[in-house]
Amino acid sequence: MSNQTALYNQHLNLGAKMVDFAGWQMPIQYKNLKEEVKAIRESVGVFDVSHMGEFFIRGNDALKFVDYMVTNDIAGAQIGKAIYSPLCREDGTIIDDLIVYKLANDEILICVNASNIEKDFQWFEKHVQDFDCQLKNESDEYSLLALQGPKSFEVLSKCDLGFQVNDIEYYSIQAHDANGSKTLIARTGYTGEDGFEIFGPHDLIKNLWNQLMELNVMPCGLGARDVLRLEVCYPLYGHELTDEITPLDCGLKWTVKLKKENFIGKTFLESYQPKYQLLKLVLDKGIPRDHYVVEDENGNQLGEVTSGTMSVILGKGIALARVEKKLYSEDMKINVDIRGRKYMAQVTKKPFVVGGHK
Amino acid sequence: MTKIIEGLKYTEEHEWIALDGNIATIGITDFAQSSLGDIVFVELPAEGEEIEAGNSFGVVESIKSVSDLYSPISGKVTEKNDTVEGTPENINEDAFGAWLIKLEVHDTAALDNLMDHTAYQEYCEANS
Repeated sequence: MSNQTALYNQHLNLGAKMVDFAGWQMPIQYKNLKEEVKAIRESVGVFDVSHMGEFFIRGNDALKFVDYMVTNDIAGAQIGKAIYSPLCREDGTIIDDLIVYKLANDEILICVNASNIEKDFQWFEKHVQDFDCQLKNESDEYSLLALQGPKSFEVLSKCDLGFQVNDIEYYSIQAHDANGSKTLIARTGYTGEDGFEIFGPHDLIKNLWNQLMELNVMPCGLGARDVLRLEVCYPLYGHELTDEITPLDCGLKWTVKLKKENFIGKTFLESYQPKYQLLKLVLDKGIPRDHYVVEDENGNQLGEVTSGTMSVILGKGIALARVEKKLYSEDMKINVDIRGRKYMAQVTKKPFVVGGHK
Repeated sequence: MTKIIEGLKYTEEHEWIALDGNIATIGITDFAQSSLGDIVFVELPAEGEEIEAGNSFGVVESIKSVSDLYSPISGKVTEKNDTVEGTPENINEDAFGAWLIKLEVHDTAALDNLMDHTAYQEYCEANS
């Protein structure tokens, strides 16, 4: 039996197509995926992402513990900042990718992928015993909305949440206490646009959703979310990131802070030579999809597409592809095998679409 | 409201077939285009290609999905709709106007088992 978010009935009433995603009944699309993508790039839209997990770490060693668990630098970040980071094993392989919210030195929120909640929790639990802090999975207590697009702040300011929403900087978070419960407003997201992620009690989030609908904010499904993140080349766990590769194999070198004193996976990653690299591909014709084979012009297999779609903004096929470093060189002409036909792909350095976040 | 046309044959995979002499014209239904959403890519077989009943002869793609096209009948492709390959959104606008291929068929018996418009209407209602 699949879980339902607090907004399940709202989605049905809006005519959403529902799918099972990581054990949750989630809206994949409302009326029109293209319109949903455009709303977020040009104006504003909202996702229910309540399926995602929220872990809290509280206590004297909270900061020390989290900094040891993840590869990015949490200790050095200012209080109130959000930090994207992989979570790795000793052998460098990726357990999950997370957003760490540094609420205080003794209180840290970690937002994890829905599909990895149990795996991540077990990993944190296994290591927390050596530290003076408590780990709590509060996923059931929070609903989560992602309000995204250039008009996000304007729209959110019009909503009555019982407190004033501040114009905080990108990749930061602010906690608000209202009616005895905590609501967290983060300026983060997964679209490349400006926007907010609002973690709050179910009733408050349901109320906020209804207010946003009255303000004609476009409800957007996971289909649009996937196109939006792929257009700006954000990786997705289970696609670009997996249990079998390290952050250095998928373009996340910038999140591995080898200068940190210690963290899980550091010793291994210090001397690791990456086996793979991630390519950004644009096709004039044909739409690349997951697992399609990527080849050189002589038909030799280099790797495969990890995520592919038609870009709504470019009107072209776009893909991220994992290729073996020893087989690939920059002067190669690249083809994608689409149902037995070879389609030429351009390798680009920059994201397919540049988002508008500050 | 899904549009269904009288006089055509329908498959369970939501293709429509119009038979004129020994030429079968094949497209996808209004129900199919509406379920797929914005169609952004169509791949069709070349003229002269032989198609076998039940095998995939091409694909229609929306932004997020790839759907195979099946012919319920064997035959040789006499024409493919180049316009639809260039402007796949035509299928969303008029699924019955935007035919995909024309087949020269030898044995039309396979079409007898397909749904007529009444049966297809019921089939769509049961599947929506």
